[in-house]
Amino acid sequence: MECNGCEIRPELYYDPDFQIWARREEDGNLTVGMTDYSQSIAGKILHARVRKPGTRRPASKPIATLESGKWAGPVPNFFDCVIVEPNEEIMKDPTLLNLEPYEAYIAVVEPVNGAESALEGMLTGEAAGEEFCRRAKEEGWECDRDIR
Amino acid sequence: MDFDEAEDQLVIFLMTSGPSTPQRCATPFYLGSLLAAMDCDVKIFFTMEGVRLLQKGVPENLTAMEGGKYIHTFMQEAKRAGVELIGCKPALPGYELEPGELIDEVDEVANAGRLADLILSCDKLITF
Repeated sequence: MECNGCEIRPELYYDPDFQIWARREEDGNLTVGMTDYSQSIAGKILHARVRKPGTRRPASKPIATLESGKWAGPVPNFFDCVIVEPNEEIMKDPTLLNLEPYEAYIAVVEPVNGAESALEGMLTGEAAGEEFCRRAKEEGWECDRDIR
Repeated sequence: MDFDEAEDQLVIFLMTSGPSTPQRCATPFYLGSLLAAMDCDVKIFFTMEGVRLLQKGVPENLTAMEGGKYIHTFMQEAKRAGVELIGCKPALPGYELEPGELIDEVDEVANAGRLADLILSCDKLITF
């Protein structure tokens, strides 16, 4: 679905501010990425660095850092997790995060206390879409994948 | 040293640049945000003309380049990343500033002794 030009996918899980998405994998791991809204705020991403496999990252400690022309900072992390697999592709070509935010994941992580516990409090499905649209309209959120 | 080994280092930025050199006023916050995102403990200590960046009304209307983001926005992003902002108390009178006239983002207004302690205890000291 789309709202204010921002794509949101109901099968994914989102933090309350729609900065990151998480996908539950069959093996209990989570694939994590930036939302369309998040990449739009960042602008053209010039550099991405993801923590090494095996690194434990408590909730609130970022799993990656990003640099764009107008912003540098963390990719927020909401789970106590261990990095399983950074996405090497985005480190080689960080603009993929802008162009394909829901395909260009940042990392696969293993939640320390299980996926169920990690995803508690995150938004998903129609409820996520409705909440996103409400916030987007209320706060003027807009998205753009034009990275020139 | 790489990204994964930077954790918990204390990095001090000594910010002496101010509104007279706007081009020098965004990078410390950008770099500070990045280092904080790498789990470094980052503190920016504003002294000399740097204290003017903490004056209400100044960073909200100052950009490093024409059409660029306001310095205040850079500051807010740095704060969100975990950077602390410290104003130098002895520098304020030189710019006719009172602690109450500083922006809300300031974490602390401190004496030179505090800066001396930070310099002597930090892992990295960067001046702007």
